[in-house]
Amino acid sequence: MHRRIPLATLACLSMLTLAACGGGDADPAAYPEDDITLVVPFAAGGPTDTVTRLIAEPMAEELGAEIIVQNVEGAGGTVAAGQVAEADGNGYEVLIHHIGMSTAPGLYPDLAYDPLEDFKTVGLVTDVPMTIVARKDFEPENLEELATYVEENADTVTLANAGVGAASQLCGLLIEQQLGVDLTEVPYDGTGPALTDLVGGQVDFMCDQTTNTAAQIQSGDIKAYAVTTPEPIEALPDLPTTADEGWTDVEVGVWHGLYVPAETPDEIVEKLTGALEVALQDQNVIDSMADLGTTPAPAEDVTPDAHTAKLQEQIDLWTPIIEESGVTGG
Amino acid sequence: MSTESGVAHGAGHRPAPFRPDLYAGAAFIVLGLAFAIAGSRYDVGSALRMGSGYVPLALGALLAVLGLLVVAMAFRGGDPAIRDVQREPVPWRRGGLLVGAVMFFGFFVSGLGLAPTLFVTTFIAALAGHGTSPLKAALTSAGITALCLVVFVALLRLRLPLLGEWLGG
Amino acid sequence: MDGILLGLETALQPSNILICLLGVTLGTAVGVLPGIGPTATVALLLPITFEFDAVASLIMLAGIYYGAQYGGSTTAILLNLPGESSSVVTALDGHQMARQGRAGPALATAALGSFFAGTVGTIVLAAFAPPLAQLALKFGPADYFAVVVLGLIASIALASGSTVKALAMIVLGLLLGTIGQDQFTGVPRFTFGVRELYEGLDFVSLAVGLFGLAEIIRNLESRHSASIVTRKVEGLWLKKDDFRRITKPVLRGTALGSVLGVLPGGGHVLASFTSYSVEKNLSKDPKKFGTGVIEGVAAPESANNAAAQTSFIPLLSLGLPAHPVMALLVGAFIIQGITPGPNVINDEPELVWGLIASMWVGNLLLVMLNLPLIGIWVKMLAVPYEVMFPAIIAFASIGCYSLNLNAWDVFAIAGAGVVGYFLIRWGCEAAPLLLGFVLGPLLEENLRRAMIISRGDPTVFATRPISASLLALAAVIIVIAVLPSVRRKREVVFQGEDD
Repeated sequence: MHRRIPLATLACLSMLTLAACGGGDADPAAYPEDDITLVVPFAAGGPTDTVTRLIAEPMAEELGAEIIVQNVEGAGGTVAAGQVAEADGNGYEVLIHHIGMSTAPGLYPDLAYDPLEDFKTVGLVTDVPMTIVARKDFEPENLEELATYVEENADTVTLANAGVGAASQLCGLLIEQQLGVDLTEVPYDGTGPALTDLVGGQVDFMCDQTTNTAAQIQSGDIKAYAVTTPEPIEALPDLPTTADEGWTDVEVGVWHGLYVPAETPDEIVEKLTGALEVALQDQNVIDSMADLGTTPAPAEDVTPDAHTAKLQEQIDLWTPIIEESGVTGG
Repeated sequence: MSTESGVAHGAGHRPAPFRPDLYAGAAFIVLGLAFAIAGSRYDVGSALRMGSGYVPLALGALLAVLGLLVVAMAFRGGDPAIRDVQREPVPWRRGGLLVGAVMFFGFFVSGLGLAPTLFVTTFIAALAGHGTSPLKAALTSAGITALCLVVFVALLRLRLPLLGEWLGG
Repeated sequence: MDGILLGLETALQPSNILICLLGVTLGTAVGVLPGIGPTATVALLLPITFEFDAVASLIMLAGIYYGAQYGGSTTAILLNLPGESSSVVTALDGHQMARQGRAGPALATAALGSFFAGTVGTIVLAAFAPPLAQLALKFGPADYFAVVVLGLIASIALASGSTVKALAMIVLGLLLGTIGQDQFTGVPRFTFGVRELYEGLDFVSLAVGLFGLAEIIRNLESRHSASIVTRKVEGLWLKKDDFRRITKPVLRGTALGSVLGVLPGGGHVLASFTSYSVEKNLSKDPKKFGTGVIEGVAAPESANNAAAQTSFIPLLSLGLPAHPVMALLVGAFIIQGITPGPNVINDEPELVWGLIASMWVGNLLLVMLNLPLIGIWVKMLAVPYEVMFPAIIAFASIGCYSLNLNAWDVFAIAGAGVVGYFLIRWGCEAAPLLLGFVLGPLLEENLRRAMIISRGDPTVFATRPISASLLALAAVIIVIAVLPSVRRKREVVFQGEDD
């Protein structure tokens, strides 16, 4: 509180940037010689943005360069990914993206880039668990009752989500697949309004990231049925997992990873991976992620290989589910 | 454009339609139909499951109807709020320069970079002024460009490159 | 009341006052730039706040938000360039006052009205947060649809000319609001394959084009536009008569804003538009609205600021962000290691009450900062118009472009400028269009959502008490608004026109 304002503060004003200019043929060994732009495909203040800003600081420290977070919103994150795919592969423009990277090919048939071909993966960042939650006076008390209730009242039950391509919509698709029913989906413009209507009892249930739901679950404003990870989570230790309850189809997490354009030299990717690894061991990052109900990715996943495998596996998983459901991003 | 005003005929004749209302009404009809037709090409759906086209189709049709009412107003003496207002001719050249200046900025800022684009944009815009000579416009635009660079680049640190890729920046 | 004392203790620490002052100063300085609205300002300045601890950073962020809002009103009054939806209304009469040499009183009214409303809003926030939050929760999609309809109908009063044209402009605005990706189906509408248009048109571009560019073209019609001010500047401060005239509008605006601000999404926009309509309808001389009456500045500015305070209620008592700026604040909370939620007020009383108290301190600092600045702002208006308008074009282009680095945001200025120029020339006004544009997505979303939840049964709008009473009110207003114009039309049917 009594700290003076360092000059670096003013430098932080520089949130907006174009592709780092020039330097296309710079020496990879000398990297980084300039500020690095970290492109976030979603709004400032959202969960992905928060995760990004958490890791940006320790990464910048490790690399010895400034990292500028730039929010490029639009079309489920494909505008930002398209921008980075076309950027110079010199390591000065890096993309963070979540599960949406793997669902985009299914959602957007005319996608201008290929998630596997046009990028090099840097490493996984975190895998945010999701929770199945309902308005507090909704009849079912657990997943089993929910399944029966949904079967009997398939016409009237409403399932909220945060819009096309949002993690909550994807999780909803898995729930429908698990139960073998077609539910009435009520889309919202983001998680905030959806959660407001869930707390207000206007809609019945939804599935969303712990980042958004943990506080309301703890306060009892909404009730939670299960968490979608294989293991229970620290923030909500009493909550069973979907696997425990036999909902094996509904295992999903909002995984995040870092990407650079495909032509980026391996030497630069290594440096970025190294910095990410250090950042994810930072105590402040671990603590802040715990508050959000998540944990940093384990060290063995913070590698390009593990990341690429995850991306491939997820594209193979989601593309048929999305095509079958008829959902489209345009 | 003096042709916009209707010509008053002698007593006993039906007065000519009031041109501004005719134009405004026509614009609403055209825009309304455009949205309605384009909207109807999306899935319209039903009242329960409204498709993407439902709302544009309904609103487009409503706009076209309102446009018809405005046209009707033109034949009934015109909108009293502007009927008696003296209108100056449309400044086609000056307006064109201003619009051109803004479009130039949009097209070239990423390629040329901030400094040259800004200078040309403000120069074109300044030429639209009354009695502004090219020299005066150049001086004005140089001053404004310098001011903007100080505010946005030096103070706010917006990281727009001063020179774009085309200029080797 | 213990809470507010604890809060004042926190907020009045010298270091926190300093932080707050820094926030409002930076917010004003950036917010006053044409083409940069409050959301952009907060997003732009957000990273600075990460340098401080939790309490200080949130105090600063709130300060930036108010400062930006006030800076936006200043630009709206001086240059007719509204930076966000709620200052569109301020521009209507505020800019006309500026042209008549009364920029000083207009700015002073905005500052004083905002301060009063901010004070009341803070008290409302401290005293009634839980019940108001419950009220916000009672609003389902059908009710929200009804409140948007009511707001749109009430805004017909914004127009000083023909009712039919105002309605048409609202509908055109609603249609422009449908451009972009349909969030229900994901289908991109009217985007012609341009991915940059998936998020829709940018409000600031549209406002800058319709108000700023269109007005510049209009000013260039004739030779005699040496500067924005057309009359001698007559005094910077309010006259006795002005004080008398603004008292009631400020009180009514504050009350309306305090209630509407709690609604998620468009509460503060509805507040400023509705309060203007209320004043116009209560006025003995409604025709004068739009020509530079001080009531037309006092009411919306108060409503807007009161709403800005109470829009914190859903965030602080439920942990639910009501609009984009609040979402940014949630991000700031989380980065400081605090999870905003229903329990935050119990877990972190010093932080929450400190934030609430500092809102009031921030408003006080804003008045003290801005009243002396009025003289400088007014002097700026004397810059020759031949220099002023290219500068406006330059600032507006950079401002709109810098936020998303999207050239389409710049093209939208040009398009809106051309369309706006002709529509205004033909007697159609821009303000109803902008309101339609802002509320359009809310209208469509909530209509579709309500119909999905009710299984396609339209009676839901009549059976829910909130929505039924709001829609009934809208029907009454439309009857009152249409009746006199029907009568007037009959009178003019056979009159010749003499343009």
